[in-house]
Amino acid sequence: MLKILDFFDYAKSESLWMAHFCTGCCSLEMAAAMGPRYDWERYGFLPTPTPRQADILVITGLVSKKILPALLRTYAQMPEPKYVLALGACSFDGGPYNDALSVIKNPTEILPADVFVAGCPPKPEAIIEGMEAIKSKMKNKEPSAASQGGLWKEIAF
Amino acid sequence: MKRILRLFDAFETEYVEPYKSSWIKAKLKRQDDLRAVAEALKEEGLRSLVTVSPTDFPDESRMEMNYFFEDLQTKRNCWLKCDIPRTPDQCRIDSLTPLFAGADWSEREAFSMFGVDFADHPDLRPIIVSQDFYGKAPFRKDFDWEAHEADTLNHLKTIVNDFEKEQQNSDANLDPDGSETVLNWGPTHPASGPIRLKVHCDGEEVIGIDPDIGYVWRALEHLVTQKDFIGAIVAVERLCFMDNINSMVGYCMAVEEIAEIQITPFAAWMRVLLGETARISSHMMGLGGFFNMMGLHTLAMWNMDVREFFLDFLESYSGARIATAAIEPGGVRYGLQSNMLDELQKALDKFDATKEDIRSIFVKNPTMKLRAGTLGILTTDMIEQYALCGPVARAGGVRTDIRLDEPYAAYSEVEMAYITQETGTAKDRFTQLFNELEQSVDIIKQAKKRIEAGIADGEFNPTKDHMVKVPKKLPKGEAISRVEWARGEVLMHLVTEEKAKSPYRLKMKAPSFNHTMMLDHLLRGQTLSDIPLVFGSLYICQGDLDR
Repeated sequence: MLKILDFFDYAKSESLWMAHFCTGCCSLEMAAAMGPRYDWERYGFLPTPTPRQADILVITGLVSKKILPALLRTYAQMPEPKYVLALGACSFDGGPYNDALSVIKNPTEILPADVFVAGCPPKPEAIIEGMEAIKSKMKNKEPSAASQGGLWKEIAF
Repeated sequence: MKRILRLFDAFETEYVEPYKSSWIKAKLKRQDDLRAVAEALKEEGLRSLVTVSPTDFPDESRMEMNYFFEDLQTKRNCWLKCDIPRTPDQCRIDSLTPLFAGADWSEREAFSMFGVDFADHPDLRPIIVSQDFYGKAPFRKDFDWEAHEADTLNHLKTIVNDFEKEQQNSDANLDPDGSETVLNWGPTHPASGPIRLKVHCDGEEVIGIDPDIGYVWRALEHLVTQKDFIGAIVAVERLCFMDNINSMVGYCMAVEEIAEIQITPFAAWMRVLLGETARISSHMMGLGGFFNMMGLHTLAMWNMDVREFFLDFLESYSGARIATAAIEPGGVRYGLQSNMLDELQKALDKFDATKEDIRSIFVKNPTMKLRAGTLGILTTDMIEQYALCGPVARAGGVRTDIRLDEPYAAYSEVEMAYITQETGTAKDRFTQLFNELEQSVDIIKQAKKRIEAGIADGEFNPTKDHMVKVPKKLPKGEAISRVEWARGEVLMHLVTEEKAKSPYRLKMKAPSFNHTMMLDHLLRGQTLSDIPLVFGSLYICQGDLDR
């Protein structure tokens, strides 16, 4: 029985689907990672139009106040197990928009990310490396960060 | 131009003067004259009002309104100003929307950001700003951002409550026996990006569309005022990453005009070279996006393959693929090494090797012609009325291109012509983008040849000529600059104070704002499945839509 469960974790981790939802400019480099040169499908990643089939939610850079409820709702709609990948300086502390007060400066405190990829925007190789890190997290049966805590549970959306 | 100058004789003005080669700058003494002047300008042929930009002067207790009128046919433009009181209950001026349909959203933006009330505006609702800023005028100098931000959690509640109330209302307002409904297209739709279209439809038929924008509002125009003149390019280039170079060129031109600095010919040619590279990388995404919306991802993949080579050049030049920060007031940031041009040559070779495949399979694609050949028609009249620009306007047969109308950088020495299509359908906009790609490659080849020749005969010193010094403090002044950005005309209006270290006000007029306004007109009476296609054909980026 244990072996079969291991196999499911393996299978899940090797076909990570991403909810097709972009919040900011890093989605451009996501697109490049999907493109022929980097071709993330080699690793089993795929964007899916609906969160109901997705395994990971990618915070692509900046999160504005207006889009945060939509982001949290998308996350809530995803089935377990689900993981969060945060891209770019914006998702860490607002990045270049740190002085702009119309954006959320602590998106990962609200929705904790399992892996954070630095850069503004991060290069496609880095994005793929970040996704690989999520894979190993799944294989090791580590619980996702957002299930452990985060302000998102206290916010109505 | 003389006729426009004479037109002001009938009104009381503080000054009327020619500005640059194609502008008349005038300031009215009385705000009541505004509508009469605008009417006269419209009769004169200046049929497009591209944007409305208020500047707040709390010390002088006035709000200065700036209107930018353009004539897309004869290239005569007018920059009209007038002062209005800034106290909230008196901050009121006549709306120009009844005369210029394109002013609709610009005035709504001025209303949301500065609290300017426009009399007789047909639909003065807040736009761009999130619900917590409603009625608060965040771009006024005395707005307390810090205090506002302290209450973020409550603001999120406001946003969520407002959304829920809106959903309930839209259900309640519908006829329970009818088949009408309101759908949300976006922000999680795979084709939408961060924008929400409220689609009012009856079965498959679209009755009306109300775009809800502002999902990536970063208040860039406020952000630049907190940075110095060089730091501000970080905010300016984030207008949209797809073509970040040309927006920086526009901003730097405005700074250089105030500082009274001439850049070197080498830097001017470098701006052409880098600008066209960025335009290509943007158009590649635009073309791919168009076919993506029809459900065919092959073109996007092919384009992305070619685009990577152009990004390689940007990376070899600046160290970054898309956030290059490569243009700075005074020239371009880095010198040029010969191996960088080799990277560019690889990209050009790759493009030449691929373009005939793209043309024969996608540009001549019979399915695309059938699907898009009759959809989303923009007539010349609509283009002028709504002040559309760039490839979208040119696809409708309007000969407008800032590179030719008001040449900047080294474009006056570039050999190029207006590229236009005739009917303004979605298909024409696609063909237009592809033709512009070829034009851009041609311009790059010219610029590359010129730079190489200049270096070879010692005219350019590629390690020293790229930059002239710009003082850290700028004198009091204001300037406008226009550039042909990938998506169309970007107009930057920069205001500085005495001994300024940072911009006092920077208005960025970006093309997608006006283009998004057209969705409602283009999609009424069409079916739901046409929404992504028309949306994709308008080449909209949320970055410059919201700023």
